[in-house]
Formats: sequence, structure tokens, C-alpha cells
Amino acid sequence: MLNMQQATVKFADSVALNGLTLSVEEGKVFGLLGPNGAGKTTLIRSLMGLQHLSEGSIRLFGDMLPGSASSRTLIGYMPQLYAIYDQLTVRENVRFFAELYSVPSALINDRVDELLHMTELDNKADAILHTLSGGMKRRAMMATALVHKPRLLILDEPTAGVDPILRIKFWQWFRKLCDQGTSILVTTHHINEAEQCDDIVFLRAGTMIGHGTPQQLMDEQQVDNLDQVFIRLAEQTEVQA
Amino acid sequence: MKSVLIARRLIREITRDRRTLAFFFLAPLIVMSLVYFALLEPSSARVALVTEGTMDLFRYDLERTLEDEPDIELVSPDWELPEGYEAQKASLLKWTRSGEVDAILYLNTQLLIDRFDGKPGTVNLFLEGSRPTRTGAALDAVSSAMDDLGSAMPVVIEASCSSLCANSVNNEAMDLEKIYAYGDEDLDIIDFFLPVFPPFFVFFFTFILSAISFQRERVTGTLERLMMSPIHFADIVIGYVMGFFIFASVQASIILGFVLYLIDIPFTAEQVFVLVIITFCLLLVGLTLGLLASYLAKNEFQAIQFIPVVILPQIFLADMIWSIEDFPKVFQVFSVILPLTHANQAMRDVLLKGADLWSIADSVGILLLMWVVLVAVMSLVAKRNA
Repeated sequence: MLNMQQATVKFADSVALNGLTLSVEEGKVFGLLGPNGAGKTTLIRSLMGLQHLSEGSIRLFGDMLPGSASSRTLIGYMPQLYAIYDQLTVRENVRFFAELYSVPSALINDRVDELLHMTELDNKADAILHTLSGGMKRRAMMATALVHKPRLLILDEPTAGVDPILRIKFWQWFRKLCDQGTSILVTTHHINEAEQCDDIVFLRAGTMIGHGTPQQLMDEQQVDNLDQVFIRLAEQTEVQA
Repeated sequence: MKSVLIARRLIREITRDRRTLAFFFLAPLIVMSLVYFALLEPSSARVALVTEGTMDLFRYDLERTLEDEPDIELVSPDWELPEGYEAQKASLLKWTRSGEVDAILYLNTQLLIDRFDGKPGTVNLFLEGSRPTRTGAALDAVSSAMDDLGSAMPVVIEASCSSLCANSVNNEAMDLEKIYAYGDEDLDIIDFFLPVFPPFFVFFFTFILSAISFQRERVTGTLERLMMSPIHFADIVIGYVMGFFIFASVQASIILGFVLYLIDIPFTAEQVFVLVIITFCLLLVGLTLGLLASYLAKNEFQAIQFIPVVILPQIFLADMIWSIEDFPKVFQVFSVILPLTHANQAMRDVLLKGADLWSIADSVGILLLMWVVLVAVMSLVAKRNA
């Protein structure tokens, strides 16, 4: 689904991605982990064609280029910011994105209802967004990202600022979506919640410092949680440097 | 002191934002320069003196008198007068309409014949008429020139004929026939300025509206979401223009209606239709320019800075209050790329000169061309940024 060869992004005074080579299989929940500034958002922007690579290449769904018209219809994106229209109702927001992605008009109403139900926003469907809590806004954003049934759902820090109960729900939804065939790429700096991913990559200062399933990584580092895995990997990288 | 801490942080922030810094220090200099040129010396009315036949005898004295007038500039266009009084008057009216001069003082041989016949005689003054200040200056200058002409006439005639001739010339004041190319004596200063109010306010408000709202789309991250959906950037720009166009159109109609209510000039339904077309073309430019400014700005502060940068030069250089001819050549060239220059010109042509759509097609065409260029520039900038 995703093939990345020596992907590098350089800015004037820093390197955001440093020669990343990575292959991600379809139908999995793929976690991109690392502290703030590790290069997670840059990587996501590169996948969506919003950030040009300085070097290297990325191919999606076989041979599609990031940002190409065909790849854009296959990706759903939920950014870290509340990137949703504050003066519209939840339903209007979801509907807007459905029309933007050319969901057939005969299917729009059912699809919108289905997503509002899934994100438990049925009773807030006609509420203006700015009257809702942060958690509800996040759920509404999730609905807008899923409305065109994307093949790949990219979630940038979806659980940032979300209460623990909703955080659990989010991960349940991710798993359910994955079981239904949607591949998920999720970034988080809450490293422990990534135990629910099928596959994870640890990033640090734009460099990949670990890749594998959560269990594999914990076994390799002989620790019992991903936080400790990250600390070990970071220490090893520093020693090597 | 904690306030020092705040001040230090603020200074650091501003000094790192070079665009803000440049704006802060350069903008007053630019505005002051514009005010300086605007107030330096108001443009004088261009008056041409046309004498025919024996009236050439008085040309020298009249020229000296007119040259001494402070508010006019005596010009000598290279015109070829046709034969016959009526044909000459028709040509002079045509030349006045061309805008090359603000007034033409015309003295025909018939004036001298009438004076010898004991009649007061008529001096023709052709007035362009759409600029009340210049019309006033030309009228004042011509009145004093006519006084001088009345007293000089017997002297000149005596010198070239005889004292008998001179004594037979009528000494009464001459009649002045004012022939207006546009407007009439009742055209007030306010009637001259009212036509440019709708373009200015329409442009001002639509520019601000689009500049700020697009910035909000950008800051909240929804623009990024749009950019990665299957939509072309040009579609986003056109969508914005279409969305705002409805509100801006209502606003433009209110402003236009108000001005038409105030203005003391008769107008037809066709003229109103042409005014609406000009205003709507300007709307497109204002909205798209606002979007471009918003897109180029890195934050809300920079977006707000575009407002004076875009609006202020147009107040001075778009022939709104001050004539562009009062400014140095470089500003005159610059004024060509200002949308309000063309909108103001077209509005005045329609309301003050009764121009139809065909006559102002060039101004409308330029505004539409500006809009297309702005959409193209925005798409290019967006592609480059992507």
C-alpha cells in the first residue's frame, strides 16, 4: 500500500525526514510513533503530496504519486487541528466532505447517518459545531474523514487532548475500520496506546530508529511496554551517534 | 519588572517578522510621499486658444493674458480647423470631448464684425465639463481674458487700421457662450466625486472580507484538508469568489443605489446596467486579490497589513480625489495596474459623460483580465507552495 525509498525532507536549517525507507502493507493499523518534532507530521504531509521530498520517492497503492488526483480520492485525513467548519452543523460538515469527495448523492444521506451513528453523534447532528466539546469535534472530524470510504485513513494525533474513555473508543473504531478493510496510519506521541497497532515505526529527529510489531519490539528490547522500547531505542541511537 | 519581559518578547517577535518591520517603517514614508505629491500643486486646467481670420490680430495679447492666469495652462494643440463657422464649432466640440484640453476659447471673425455693427459679439468657450474644479479655473481665466480683450480691441485696431476704425468698435462687454461637452453649469464637485464612491467601497469591503476569511480557512487547517481532497485550487478560489459574490453584490447594489439617489445627474436604466457590470467586474478583482493577499500572508497580522498596502495607493493614484496627472510619471505608469483606476474612469464616463457599455468596454476588459491573471497567479503560488 505504501512504499517509501530514502524519503528525505530538508528545510533551510533542519532535516525533518532523513532517508526513510519503509513499506506498509494494506489492511493494517500502522502506528507512527515518536516525540514532538520527530518528523511524523512531515511524513504524513509527504504522503498526501502537501510536502515535496528533497530526495527519495514515495509510491501509494502500487504506483500512485502522493498528491495525484487518483491517490487523493483514496485517502481520508484527520489532522491534528480542529480542521472543520465551526459555523456549520455536524451533519452539514459531514455532508460537505461527502460532496467534496463526490459521494453519489443517492448514498450521501445514508452514509452521513451511518457515520453519525458510528461516532455517536446522532443526537448532536444538527448542533452547530462551535457549541460542541473538543471530544465531539474530534468525532465529527473522524466522520468527515471517513465519509468517502477511504482505502487509507491517515490520523495525525487523533487522541491529542481527548479524555481516556473517548481515547479507548477511538482505538476500538480504528480496529473496527481496519477489520472492514480500511488501512490506518496513525501518529501519536502517547506511545503506550500504540500497542493496539499491528505494525509500528519509531521516529526520532527524522530517522527511523525501530520498526516491527509491538510485541516484536518489546521482545527485542526485553521490556514490557512501548514507552521503554522507545527509551531503549533512543539510547542506542545516541550511543551509535 | 514583568512589563519589560513582555516588551522584550514583543520586540523579539516583531524584529523576526521582516515583512511587518518593513511595513511599519516604509508604509508611512510611501503614504507621506503620496500625500506630498497630491497636495504639492493641483493640476491646472488646460486651455487652448483658437482664433480665426482677423481675430488672429488679438491672439498675442490674449495669450499673454491667459499665460498670466495661475490656475490654467495654455496649450497649443496641433489642430487643423475646417472651413465655416458651424463646421469649426463641431470640430472644437469634438476636440473638447477627446479630453485633450479642459477648455477651448474660440474667437471667430464674426465677433469683430458684430463689434463693428454695435453688437456685443459672442466669444465661444468650449468646456469639457466633467471636472468641476478645472471647469471653474478655465471660466475664471477666460473672464479676465475677455475683460482684457475688450480694452485691447480698440488699441489693436487703431494700430492696424485707424483711430476712426477704433472709435467705431463697440465698447460693451462681450457675450460668452459656454458650450459643455459633458454635464452643465450645475455639475457640482460632489457630482464629480460621487461616481467613484461605489467602486471604492465595494473594493474595500470585498477585499477585507475575502482576505480575512480565507486566512481563517488557512489557520484552522481546513484549507489543507481541501487541498488534499480531489479539488483543484482554482475551484477553491472560484468557489470563494462565487460564495462572497452574493453578499458583495447585495452590498454593491446598496452602495450604488445610494449614490444614484444622491447624485444630481440624470441617468437612464441602460446606464445603471452598465454601472452594475463595472461594479461586478471590480467585485471579482477585489475578492480574488483579497484571497491572494490572504494566501501570501503567513499569519493574520500580515493579512491585515495587505489592507493599507492595497487600498491606500488606490485612494491616491486611481484618479479618485486627486488627478493622477498631478503625480510623477512613475506613479502614473503604476496607476495603470490599479483596478480602481479603470473602475473609476468607467464610472465617471458613464455617469458624467453618458458613455454606453461599448465605450467603456476597454475598462471592463482590463478588470476582467486582471481577474483572470489573479486567479492564475493564485493557482501558481498554491502549486509552488504545495
